[in-house]
Amino acid sequence: MRYDPPFHKSSGLVPAVVAVAVLAVLPLIFDTSYVRHLLILAFVFGVVASSWDLSLGYGGLFNFAHVALFAVGIYTYAILAKTLGLNPWLAILAAGAVATAVAALVALPVLRLDGIYVILVTIAFSQLIYQIVISQSWVTGGTSGMVTLPALSIGGYRLTSDGRIGYYYVALALLLGNCAFLYMLVRSRWGRAIVALRDAKYAAIARGVPEARTRALTLAASGLFTGLAGGFYASYVRVASPDIFGLGSLTLVLSILLVGGVGTIWGPVCAAYLIILVSGAMADLGPWRDILIAVMIIAVMIFYPGGLWGVLQEIREALATRRAALRAGWRRRSGRTAREALTGAPETMIGTRHGLIAVSDTGGDGPAILAIHGNSACKEAFARQFEAFAASHRVVAFDLPGHGVSANADPEAAYNVTAYADVAEDVLSALRIERPVVLGWSLGGYVGLELTARAPEKFAGLCITGTSPLNIVPDDFARGYDASSHLVLAGKQYFTRAEQKAYAGSATAPYSADSAFLHANIGRTDGRTRLYMISRLGVVDWPRQMRMLRQGTLPFAILNGSDDPFLDHGYIAGLDYGNIWTGLPHDIADGKHAPFFNKPEEFNRAFAAFIAWAQGEGATKAEERRGRAAAAA
Amino acid sequence: MMSFDTFVAVASGGLALGAIYALMAAGLAAVWTTLGIFNFAHGAFIALGAYIGWQIADAEAAGLGLAAGVVGAFVGLFVIGILFHLALVRPFERRPDIVTACVITTLAGAAICESAINLIWGPRSKQLGQLARGEVDLGVFRLPVSDLVLIAVVGATLGTLGWFLSRTRTGRAMRAVSQNREAAELMGLDVPRLYALAFGLSAAIAGLAGIFVGGLRFMTPTMGTDPLMKALIVVILGGIARFTSPIYAAILVGFVESFSNYYVGLYWTPAVLFAMMIVVLFLKPSGLFGHHQRTL
Repeated sequence: MRYDPPFHKSSGLVPAVVAVAVLAVLPLIFDTSYVRHLLILAFVFGVVASSWDLSLGYGGLFNFAHVALFAVGIYTYAILAKTLGLNPWLAILAAGAVATAVAALVALPVLRLDGIYVILVTIAFSQLIYQIVISQSWVTGGTSGMVTLPALSIGGYRLTSDGRIGYYYVALALLLGNCAFLYMLVRSRWGRAIVALRDAKYAAIARGVPEARTRALTLAASGLFTGLAGGFYASYVRVASPDIFGLGSLTLVLSILLVGGVGTIWGPVCAAYLIILVSGAMADLGPWRDILIAVMIIAVMIFYPGGLWGVLQEIREALATRRAALRAGWRRRSGRTAREALTGAPETMIGTRHGLIAVSDTGGDGPAILAIHGNSACKEAFARQFEAFAASHRVVAFDLPGHGVSANADPEAAYNVTAYADVAEDVLSALRIERPVVLGWSLGGYVGLELTARAPEKFAGLCITGTSPLNIVPDDFARGYDASSHLVLAGKQYFTRAEQKAYAGSATAPYSADSAFLHANIGRTDGRTRLYMISRLGVVDWPRQMRMLRQGTLPFAILNGSDDPFLDHGYIAGLDYGNIWTGLPHDIADGKHAPFFNKPEEFNRAFAAFIAWAQGEGATKAEERRGRAAAAA
Repeated sequence: MMSFDTFVAVASGGLALGAIYALMAAGLAAVWTTLGIFNFAHGAFIALGAYIGWQIADAEAAGLGLAAGVVGAFVGLFVIGILFHLALVRPFERRPDIVTACVITTLAGAAICESAINLIWGPRSKQLGQLARGEVDLGVFRLPVSDLVLIAVVGATLGTLGWFLSRTRTGRAMRAVSQNREAAELMGLDVPRLYALAFGLSAAIAGLAGIFVGGLRFMTPTMGTDPLMKALIVVILGGIARFTSPIYAAILVGFVESFSNYYVGLYWTPAVLFAMMIVVLFLKPSGLFGHHQRTL
């Protein structure tokens, strides 16, 4: 299953455009050449650190010869441009090619090794290169290095003129090229293979990912822009010195990478500015500067293990959560009349184990129906059921925690299927409802299954729609659903506008005046509900639900849309049901993922027939089955 | 063909070098086997040991003699080692990324040490006195006394360390922790304290090695980098299966370096050593004397 919106449709677009625009005008504001110098260094080391992130963060390969690859780029430029007199621009390109080749060479001894041995052999490799450089002084200048390397120029215009502005823009272009390269690589088939090998090596190999080739490619790809950056850096500082092999530059680049955040690409790029500018600002402090920077690095490692990027993500999450909570609070006050008009039932707030929950309850003495809505939706999705059943039944629906006008809750505790079932129990007992028929839609279907499986005798029936019953999670996901981007979106924390529209459109109905409130509701949903719900599927006792369906201890119905874009109808029909209405899953003709919403008449007719059966024949059978199950136990 | 005298001189030089390397590698390996991390501050510990020793021993400073310097460096580095462990390694003990985290924190620790040396003693190079002067005549050949003293001191130190690890209760507890942390914890061993102790001992031995390195070469704040790399080669060549395996490897490296200096040339020697190490790692990742079981 693959979900990759192009970059211009992802939520990274706006920050990226802003960042590029700022960087493009920055040298026009700061015309002192020292600030430009620091920014150019930040670009160069940002490239080196983010390239390293490819092997270290994404590949999990601790290649400590990475800085040596940068040095290889520097010396390649020095030798080609100065000693052999090659065109400096070509020399930079050659530096990239040579560093890539050396990186592939580094890969050779690394192919068989793991963990700390990779660190050691790559350190040895970088020392080997260092020793060769200082021992071959007739080529490399030995310990004193090479000076007055040729600088860059375009058609007679020297890039050093006008306060190094030419170098600034070339460095910026290098950085953008590097980011684009890494971004595309990480999202490609190879990038997936690299991450798969890191996270689940043997599973990846078993699925046909070639380990050795992927490792070699990872290292070689991480060498390309590192070498280009080395060549550019040599043309800029015009010196090639063996000092670059020292622990100092290793510490600098590694701290950029780790302070920025490993496995993020953007983190190191941002951290490069922070570290280079901070260390530039402390240039007068001498040895104290190194001490302060070292202490800062240690502090970041201890207190912010995710690095700068992790901190940014935390801020983003806090802002998004706050915004969702504000929206919910605002709606609770202002939109109530409109919501009550949709359901025709008064809305009340009920305190539960997992916070304040908004409930619509028609009241009355009729048999009760409890409707549970799906992922990122709200209770008003059942407006047509309220309308159809309010006369004969007591219809109740509530907003899940973090959804609709219910309050946000503790994500660790409240945002999972089990907790949602707890909330449903609390709602039922607060309203003193006994033996309701439960109608669960999609995620709500799982909540309904969890709720009723705890005590089938306490419910009059269960109807699920848009839900595939699961036995083994996550394996059965692949069987019960058509793999599509929808499944990825169901667990994605932040939606872009396009994603919001696509998700609402496929999960409920395409945008229209009638479905507008469902579309708007996604913006209110706490994004963490999706992330935590999907990642905490393991807390649910799935086999218990299947057992209940198999034993038939509860009158049960499946009313799926025949045209549901996500469900695998064959899988659902193939399961074993002990007590299902009409003997098999019932399809609503032309129904989508929310058939009760887009085909309400047909759905309501079938649902009413199910309720009638559940109170008669289905109930008798369920009671007999419960007795049999109890006897067997 | 070299003469017998030259051969003996090169060989004894190799043995003396090997002894220093053994001391450096033993400390490095002690941390690696127990805590499972690579301590990049080990080289800085060596430099710090040399400077503390100089401060106590040298006539320009306190002038208390080399023996006092040895004791001072040993004790001082033990304390510094424990402090470093608490600040740089301890916070990451239960994290899955402890290896990378400790690479960067120990590198930062090394930077702090080097800058501190620079601030306290200045960047100008210094030198420690020789352990002893003169040569002994053994009839067929003559050896410098300082080499013999060095070998004897290193032998005694490593012997004591070996006795400590295999015969004392604390030493055995340290070995238990390095073999299986969880089991050791369940047996009631105070694992964090033993970790700190291992780190402190490793640093103390590095300080001792620093005194010898300071007697051989000029002291600078960054003098530890080269010994660190040598210790790295030794540890990889030997493997960390046993406490003794880096010692054999150290002597081997000392000999190779000594003879390679003579035959291949001074500049090529480090390259020869690193190439040797890569080949060994490629063919036998657990080291020449290694088995897969890891213990002190």
